[in-house]
Amino acid sequence: MRSKESLSATDGPPSDREVKIIKRREAWYERRLQYLLLAPAVLLLLGLTVYPMIYAITVSLSGRRGISLENFLRLAEDGFFLRSLLWTLAYTAVCLAIEFGLGLALALLLNTGVRGRSLFRSILLLPMMLPPIVVAVIWRLMFNQDFGVINGGLRQLGFDISSLTWQASPTLAMFSVIVVDVWQWTPFIFLILLAGLQAIPEDPYEAAQIDGASRWQIFRDITFPLLKPAVLIALLLRTMDLFRTFDQIYILTDGGPGFATETISLYIYKTAYRFRDFGYAIAMSFVMLAITTVASNIYIRVLRREQIAQ
Amino acid sequence: MHKLWLILFVGSILTACGGAGGRSSPDQLTIAINSGVEGDGLKTAKADYEREFSISITIAEFPYTNLFEKEFIDLKEGTGAYDIIMLDDPWFPRFAEEDLLAEFEPLYQKRGLSGPDDDFVTASLALCYHPYGDGKLYALPYVGNSQMFFYREDLFHKHNLPPPETWDDVLSSARLLQEKEGIFGYVMRGAQGNPIVADYMPLFWAFGGEMFDSQGNPQVNSPEGVEALRFMIELGKYSPPGYVSFNADEVGAHLSQGTAAMGINWPAWISTFDDPTKSKVVGKIGYLPIPSQKARGASSIGNWLLAIPKSARNQEKAFDFILWATSKEQMKLSALRGNPPTRVSVFKDPELLARFKAYPVQLVALESSKPRPRTPLWNEIENVFGIYLSQANSKQLSPEEALGRANDEIKRIIERNRRAP
Repeated sequence: MRSKESLSATDGPPSDREVKIIKRREAWYERRLQYLLLAPAVLLLLGLTVYPMIYAITVSLSGRRGISLENFLRLAEDGFFLRSLLWTLAYTAVCLAIEFGLGLALALLLNTGVRGRSLFRSILLLPMMLPPIVVAVIWRLMFNQDFGVINGGLRQLGFDISSLTWQASPTLAMFSVIVVDVWQWTPFIFLILLAGLQAIPEDPYEAAQIDGASRWQIFRDITFPLLKPAVLIALLLRTMDLFRTFDQIYILTDGGPGFATETISLYIYKTAYRFRDFGYAIAMSFVMLAITTVASNIYIRVLRREQIAQ
Repeated sequence: MHKLWLILFVGSILTACGGAGGRSSPDQLTIAINSGVEGDGLKTAKADYEREFSISITIAEFPYTNLFEKEFIDLKEGTGAYDIIMLDDPWFPRFAEEDLLAEFEPLYQKRGLSGPDDDFVTASLALCYHPYGDGKLYALPYVGNSQMFFYREDLFHKHNLPPPETWDDVLSSARLLQEKEGIFGYVMRGAQGNPIVADYMPLFWAFGGEMFDSQGNPQVNSPEGVEALRFMIELGKYSPPGYVSFNADEVGAHLSQGTAAMGINWPAWISTFDDPTKSKVVGKIGYLPIPSQKARGASSIGNWLLAIPKSARNQEKAFDFILWATSKEQMKLSALRGNPPTRVSVFKDPELLARFKAYPVQLVALESSKPRPRTPLWNEIENVFGIYLSQANSKQLSPEEALGRANDEIKRIIERNRRAP
């Protein structure tokens, strides 16, 4: 880090003054080098997150008559927003419950010495590997009431399918979007739980068997507590994903029939891109962000408590 | 060290500039089109034009649901990525209101012309002016769609039914055909948003409804509106269950597979109905203008327009292309490829008449068609209106309640967007 002048100044050994200058310079670089090295990353971060965030806040606060809270006040009286919020929460809860139940059952089953378990494991992971758009398009074709394979199959079996209008009846439409998510993402929970199960050591089980514990006792007192961190991580990731579901429902029903399956993400998307109301779309996104932050904080706090307890 | 920073800095600027590339050069035109039969006409015309005028044309094709977003964002940002855009006529007021389109009058004047010739169908050309009726010209009509009424001529003959003239005729024929023939009497589009609104409007108008009063206040929950919606739900009893999720494709499929006897659809489907490889009812389908009821029947007009973004670099060449594409000769070629024309002379062309027997009816339908309300807020209004119509059809709400709520929401949308004094 020596500069040119100090090198060319003299040929002999450097004087005290020169040594002092060089040292001071080196110290200067030393002190600032860390900032210099960090600068690109910090600038990038500022440019990609902080700037858009501030910009988003200004857009959401700019009303027709200058700065106002009108976009946020509108949230409270917008029936569509509240309905999409309720539906998104219900959808998240139901999907999460089913996926967790099935995922846990499958993980417990395939963690034992069942024959052909490695084959089952690979097959089970397939849905997760497919892009959600592809999954949604295929399911939409399958759910088609006149030409789809589901109604076609049921008709062959002699069922009356005239009321099975998967995309036209609100209840059936809700059911069908839940089925698709469960089909695709149960494997994800299964995978995490299976990894968690395999990480549990053998000795507590041996001890429990010697003590004559029942299978339920073993599950309740050993397996589940030791599996809890994996459970929490699986639930956390799925909750976040479910809460912002967009692609599957966009393809399957586009929020229909009526407004029955419109998630918040879909409503935000339509507000921003179809109605060109960015201010309101961002205001809704902030509410979504707040809910996600609160939910993930709860999970993380529970998770941390678990780790401390262990 | 300093040099390194300099290189990084310059390099990043160069990359940033590279990213903004892809703009059209003077001898190139970029056209944004709808992927579908309407856009296919332009794709074929492109090759002819390139050969004739040695200019290179790039086509950017988007599905209907994304086309508006793509075009609007691009025009709003003024990137100049497109020299010509193809747009569905209900979007036009939004584009024109935000001053995103190039005015056509100066371009005409430069060519020594006073404006578009009077061969264009009046109802179609009227769509291209903003404000509607007495404004300035910002586009030209390219595809002359307007809804038509399709019915099974053979079955009507068989049961001695006259072609339906009123909606009451439609309902009674639907009932009779469903009983005697075991097929659905009617089929309609009920999916929320654009589809259900496009199919409700002809009923609404025939029952004497108007969406806005003379002051521009919404009045969809008028007695006429409620009656029309009740009638729609009654008609729904003779539609395939699940019509609440139908779009034009499902309606077309039911008609061409012979599983439904009547329905409203766009003329683009005629070629499918006449195609033996796709249709089981070749030659059995008749075409009519939209039936009347209390008022004269009117179909929704659904024209595709060609316009030039204000930000386009190549406005002159783009305008030349539009003039060429909407000329009589080119429109005839486009009509042969299946696109309904927007010129009276093309509708009356003997060669085309021999080939498209529906043309006289189509011209009547187009001339007597009504535009969906000309408001820049149409996308948002249509969405809300469509949700409530769809909820009434799927029996989640009564007709009165659905239209009452729709009216409130539409009022709110208009008030919210009223400009600050």
